Amino acid sequence: MIEEILTFVMQIVDLPLYGDVKVRDLVFAVTVIIIASVIAKFVAMSLRRSFADKMRKDQLELLVKVSYALIIILAFVSVTPVLGVNLTGLLVAGGILGVAIGFASQRVVSNFLSGIFLLAERPIKIGDQIVVDNVSGIVEDMSIMSTIVRTFDGLYVRIPNERVFSSNITNPVANVARRFEYVVQISYSDDAKKAIEIIRNVIERHPFALKIPPPQVFVDSFGESGVNIIARIWAPSKIWLEVKTSLLWEIKVELEKNGIEIPFPQRVIWFGKTRST
Amino acid sequence: MYGSYRLSNLDISVRDLRLWVEKGGLYRYRRKLGNSEIEKIFLSDQEVILNPVEPVNLPRSITNYLFIQFSKPLLVEPASSVEIYLTFPIEVGVFVVKGDVLDEIDVFSFVNPKYALYGEPRGGVIARFWQSEIFSNPPNVDFLENGVMRLKIQNVSDSWCEVTKVVFDVFAMKIYYSDEIVSSIAEMKIQSRRIAETSFLDKPMFEGMKKAIELYTARRIPILATKFTMEWGI
Repeated sequence: MIEEILTFVMQIVDLPLYGDVKVRDLVFAVTVIIIASVIAKFVAMSLRRSFADKMRKDQLELLVKVSYALIIILAFVSVTPVLGVNLTGLLVAGGILGVAIGFASQRVVSNFLSGIFLLAERPIKIGDQIVVDNVSGIVEDMSIMSTIVRTFDGLYVRIPNERVFSSNITNPVANVARRFEYVVQISYSDDAKKAIEIIRNVIERHPFALKIPPPQVFVDSFGESGVNIIARIWAPSKIWLEVKTSLLWEIKVELEKNGIEIPFPQRVIWFGKTRST
Repeated sequence: MYGSYRLSNLDISVRDLRLWVEKGGLYRYRRKLGNSEIEKIFLSDQEVILNPVEPVNLPRSITNYLFIQFSKPLLVEPASSVEIYLTFPIEVGVFVVKGDVLDEIDVFSFVNPKYALYGEPRGGVIARFWQSEIFSNPPNVDFLENGVMRLKIQNVSDSWCEVTKVVFDVFAMKIYYSDEIVSSIAEMKIQSRRIAETSFLDKPMFEGMKKAIELYTARRIPILATKFTMEWGI
């Protein structure tokens, strides 16, 4: 019985498919590709485990993707002779096919090329906060066709690379430091010099309000309800929002503690006549 | 304060620092310093080591660079070498040890941290900022707050150079400590009026000093570069 099954299987695998290629060659090729993809997945997993805390996430993802693609390409190239495919011919055919596909699917090719340019130019990387094409959020992934952004309210947005590449990209964390500004209004009756000193001291106490470049605190203008003091502060880009939100309240508390009033809008009204009694 | 302890015997009170362990089935490591407070739980009695670490971890780690600004500019003559002493801020690391495996459980400091930008926003680096006097001999400093750094400045250029600051990559910082002093030895090689290369040497300033456990060793972070090139001015 077993012998019969074996003979039957051998007959099937020896069946010719085309040219000199038999079923057994196809089975061999498919097996190699499957094994290669298992190995590639194992390599990707090992790389992620080994380098998760030693490399930047975007660099690690690039390394994983390149390693994965190399293993699959290697496996594919190694099985093509078994399948009777001439790679030289394939390349020529691929070239012609590429032109045809290029015309037929301009958008896809455009996204693909934009993806390559984005990976080469690297205006953004995984983990960056960006504003692109009216979408602001954190870059979660960058593939060859699209960029995945998680908006600040947690939405998943897939932006085709063509749009990323051709849009204005604002990357607030591309530089290591950035400046922010407050306008603090104090009442006309308060001492602006004292207020400036208090604000300077609060800024000095904050560890991440950078010492260099030095902060600027100065009287900027006379407003309707009070004197406008501007404070310009540099902070590390990674945590600038945290610094900005924490410092403003500290300034308010410290000014009030020192008797300096942050005025409400007010208007002095003069009556032309007083009613005689 | 620096040294090795058993969790069961850990009870340190220095200035406004209180570091102790509450026992009762579990071991609760607790630390209070100013407004900062931490509590961690251990299942069994362990060995812990307290020693000075690279001063770039507080209030949280955002950089690995240390920027020491001199209180006054130092003029270094062409083709010469000079040795000066500086101070640097101290952060204290608490490590738990089991055989050869160690891990950090806490970092605190008696010094308020401050950060600065070295260079331009594009291409520069954020660094822990510290201002230091220049000394010709090891200064007498509070060893809980300040370490002493011996800096060998070598001017290999053919011009007088005015040095106002030194910036290090602390990945390769080596700190030694004793009951009286915390020290580190570093070099600065001036290439031109604007460019210098800095690095640390792995040796104690005085005989008998103990080598501190480095945070980057504990975190198993591979050290890629041991030198830093100051290309944004010296």
